[in-house]
Amino acid sequence: MKKILVIDDDQFFSKTLEAALPAGKYSLLSAEDGEVGLQKLISEKPDLVILDLMMPKLDGTAFLKKLQESKDLPKVPVLVSSNLSSVKKISDVMAMGAVGYVIKSDESLQSIVQDIERVLGENLEKK
Amino acid sequence: MNTALFSSAMIFNFLIPIFLLLVILVFYFYYSLKKREKETTKEREESTRRLYELTILKELGERVGYSLNVEEILQIITGSLKQFIDYTAVGYIVINPEKIKINTHIEKSVSRSFLSEMKDRMIASLSALTDKSFDSSAIDEVVSGAIVVDEIKQNIGSLFNIPLVIGGAVAGVLTVAHIDVGLYKEEDMTILYKITGRASEAVSRLEEVVEMEKGKLNAMVLSMEDGVLMVDTEYRVVVANPAIKKIIKFNLLADGKDVNFFDFVNALGGKFDIHGKLEEVIKKKNPYYSERINIDDSFFEIGVCSVSHSMLKGGDQILGAVVVFHDITKDIELERVREEFTSMIVHELRSPLDGIKKIIELMISGSILANSDKFKEYLNMAHQSSASMLELINDILDFSKLQAGKFEVNKEKVDIKEIVENKISFYKISADAKNLSLQSFFSNNSPQFSEFDPQAVKQILNNFISNAIKFTSRGGSVLLSVFTYKPGEPLPTDLARDKFIVFPETADIKINVPALCVAVSDTGIGISKTNLENLFHTYKQVRLNSSDDQNKGTGLGLVIAKGIVEAHGGKIGVVSKEGIGSSFFFTIPL
Repeated sequence: MKKILVIDDDQFFSKTLEAALPAGKYSLLSAEDGEVGLQKLISEKPDLVILDLMMPKLDGTAFLKKLQESKDLPKVPVLVSSNLSSVKKISDVMAMGAVGYVIKSDESLQSIVQDIERVLGENLEKK
Repeated sequence: MNTALFSSAMIFNFLIPIFLLLVILVFYFYYSLKKREKETTKEREESTRRLYELTILKELGERVGYSLNVEEILQIITGSLKQFIDYTAVGYIVINPEKIKINTHIEKSVSRSFLSEMKDRMIASLSALTDKSFDSSAIDEVVSGAIVVDEIKQNIGSLFNIPLVIGGAVAGVLTVAHIDVGLYKEEDMTILYKITGRASEAVSRLEEVVEMEKGKLNAMVLSMEDGVLMVDTEYRVVVANPAIKKIIKFNLLADGKDVNFFDFVNALGGKFDIHGKLEEVIKKKNPYYSERINIDDSFFEIGVCSVSHSMLKGGDQILGAVVVFHDITKDIELERVREEFTSMIVHELRSPLDGIKKIIELMISGSILANSDKFKEYLNMAHQSSASMLELINDILDFSKLQAGKFEVNKEKVDIKEIVENKISFYKISADAKNLSLQSFFSNNSPQFSEFDPQAVKQILNNFISNAIKFTSRGGSVLLSVFTYKPGEPLPTDLARDKFIVFPETADIKINVPALCVAVSDTGIGISKTNLENLFHTYKQVRLNSSDDQNKGTGLGLVIAKGIVEAHGGKIGVVSKEGIGSSFFFTIPL
């Protein structure tokens, strides 16, 4: 079972994503802001992080920065999922080490699931 | 015989006095005639001089116009001098900004040495008058009239100088010379001196008027917020107001010299080709307006426009050009804030709508069984999302109504107590869920009925109470206080404010008529000073970070509340201490 950590203040998103993921293959954890996300990243060691950008407390960009700068934090692939669609934002985030960017409202749950499976599959091959 | 003798002696005795009398009379008449003649001549001379004076002044007025050109004045005087005085040569010397100029008109041919002596004496006179020495080699010289004949050996016999004083300073000297010795009498000089004096006076007065008008214009240019620079056709700075000096960071104290054109070229180098644009504008006479240009932390739109003077004879003369730096930093900041605001609203609308879409997607895919608990949970989620979207859309509508000044207030006689209690019971469930105490308090002085729009006031209370609940941690308290505020009087003593350290004082309630005051106080996280300032500002609302998740907002609610209160003629306010609590309040005049 692969562990996926969804860091998003929109609780409905993680709920709908959970329902859309194939049953029995993944376990889904959720964190409502960047700070809780960091804690769960350390304690749960997930295989993938799905990160929102606009969040209270520690936002997505700050979370990525922490992950990039820290040596102690586990190196986990981060897939950014946000409703922000500016080209600059996307390229900024990709430059900070994200493995992908999903514009939430532009993609169906099914295609987000495909993205997740692709990232996890690629990572598996690398290992 | 005796009688004859007697008679002849008698005749003699009589005739002599008669003859003497006659002689006296003749002399008397002769003298008085002479005197009359002298007086008439004098009168004639006087009227000729007057006429000459008038002619010269009239000509000055017509020809000089408003140009205040000293040389032109001197030209007019020398040109018309002939009808009044006899001379061999007449000339003037003037101080131009860069160089001294001498203009001599020869009436009857003279030798070179005559001219050179005249020139030396003119320079000497100007030197003496201005207390400055002039280099005779660096002088522009113009000679006109009869030809120079070196064979003529006559040198200057008579010469006199008349200074031209304008605005208290010597502007030039007028010189009249003749080959005959002792020709000019004191009288001639005095008269010419008087005429020159009159001309100076007239011009000085005109200059005063022009200076005064210039002063007004200068004051206007000085006080302008836009930077203004005017240069002449040689790119010399004519006007540079303080605003433009500030833009290019020109500091007068640095070297004591005033700003020059190169200061502008250097300061703007790479950002704006000021020289090129000026050249283009002066040549083509078409104004130029730049795109936004970034200088340090500010943005400018720069306009360049040629300045011309329409001449009396017709046609235009280019005097130079004006460069105006219009500061658009604030507009750009507002534009940025607006864009941010719009993208935030779009984001806030997109999230719940996307949630609904994804839930429906799940249901279509059949991964959730109909009528299962999960199915109900997802339906509930979709319901909440659509409700929050609707709320936001209503807020946006109210906000745009307020902005357009189209928000309608429907006042009626209402019992504030009823409305407050109704709201308390409405929010009881969410307060209980967080273990918060939510209570109301009515001072003895609170009015029973007052006039306001109940729906609008409910909207304010919704905003205040839901925020208070949102930003207060579990176990905290929220209190709604209602009382009458009277300007100049202390707040009622019966208010139950002991539990709430943060509560408005009389100084915080800025209204100068008796008013109904409603305060919603909490023991929540409080608001920082910087956020407090922008709280009610359009487009500047802070997104308050809460201790809880899910608490986000556009901040539109407070801006709408402010609009509603102001539409009632009241005031809205907040007092807050970080980590201790906040108290939001509003007043409605009674």
